[in-house]
Amino acid sequence: MKDSITNAQSVGNTLLEIGALLMSSGASTHRTRITMKRIANSLGYRIELLITQRALMLTIIETDQEYFFSRMKRISPLHPNFKMVSGISHLSWNVKEQNWPVEKINTELQRLKSLPHYPRWILLVMVGAAGAGFCNLFGGDVINMGVAFIATVIGLFTRQEAVRRKFNPYLSVFFAALVASFIAGLSEKFAIGAEPDKAVATSVLFLVPGIPLINSVTDMFDGNIQNGIVRAINGLIIAFAIALGLFTSKMILNF
Amino acid sequence: MILLGILIKAFWSGIAAVGFAILFNVPIRTLFPIGALGAIGGLIKFGSMFLGVEIVFASFIGATIIGIISIQMAHMKKSPPLVFSIPGVIPMVPGAFAYRMMLGLIALIDLEDTDIYIQTLIDTVNNGAKMIFVLISLAIGVSMPMLITRKESIKKSVKSGN
Repeated sequence: MKDSITNAQSVGNTLLEIGALLMSSGASTHRTRITMKRIANSLGYRIELLITQRALMLTIIETDQEYFFSRMKRISPLHPNFKMVSGISHLSWNVKEQNWPVEKINTELQRLKSLPHYPRWILLVMVGAAGAGFCNLFGGDVINMGVAFIATVIGLFTRQEAVRRKFNPYLSVFFAALVASFIAGLSEKFAIGAEPDKAVATSVLFLVPGIPLINSVTDMFDGNIQNGIVRAINGLIIAFAIALGLFTSKMILNF
Repeated sequence: MILLGILIKAFWSGIAAVGFAILFNVPIRTLFPIGALGAIGGLIKFGSMFLGVEIVFASFIGATIIGIISIQMAHMKKSPPLVFSIPGVIPMVPGAFAYRMMLGLIALIDLEDTDIYIQTLIDTVNNGAKMIFVLISLAIGVSMPMLITRKESIKKSVKSGN
């Protein structure tokens, strides 16, 4: 009897950990729910869930003996990590098809958490290249693309530093938008390249809240309307922070 | 010549998709497929715009096809579809319209001439409406195929299909 209570507790804690990781890595609410259900059912438990944007509530019920265990867990803010989403998806199927025990799930979670991110310079260069690509899509010439590249790289660097110093996330976006559009704005001020306004418009695009906006629509269609609204508003605030940064550098440079 | 322009744009769409994929920390094995997906999306969007399709509908077609292909890629590369579809559609984000709409809004603050005011207002509303509808069509286009094809999960729906 004591054993089954401890088991329910440890399984519940693992499930909460998985759910919190999925939500903060950028999975939709539906995905988080079915993944947690799949793992719980494979381990022989029934669960009831309340998933919100910043907290998870779980009741885990042992099917034959009717013991249950409830706990809430705070979810950390969105930090996109699709390696985690992909890894947990694999993990859940391994639990279902190969009957992984809880200890093995915990080890796998530790491994997934320790997976390295891309090196910082690759991130900066590739996101800069994405900025240059955007500039090309909107009709900028090679010089505009170069400006967009430099502005994006320095903007992303600013954001990383702001996040590292634990600034408010929206403020970090504002700083990044300000720096990036200021650098691109200099090219408009001094008329460098054929269409410098395209460089300004694309220098801040690396900040677009793609995951919140797309997950917002997915969530609303799945019927998780509350979470969908929260994500949409989160995306709007980020868009507003970007606009504010753009306005500020526009006012400073007066281009 | 125009065809070459479309191909170049498709190429840069692919690069933009890979940039965002790295920002979202995707598994390395999915990087190349995501680049290809972004390029296919760009090819379809700019190709259909070249054929005279309105930008909103062109983005919708592009996003829908990205959504469909990302489900196939999810089977091939053993990762959930959203890993492919979200970075894949980001190159189609209507940044230029958003920028022009914001510029218009600032200009409206202190314009006095009525004719210029009305012209600016028309442009601003036009750009804003295009931006919003492109964004909505991207989000719906990319999530529709997933909502239609899956029952519980893509993995299960394939098994029952066999």
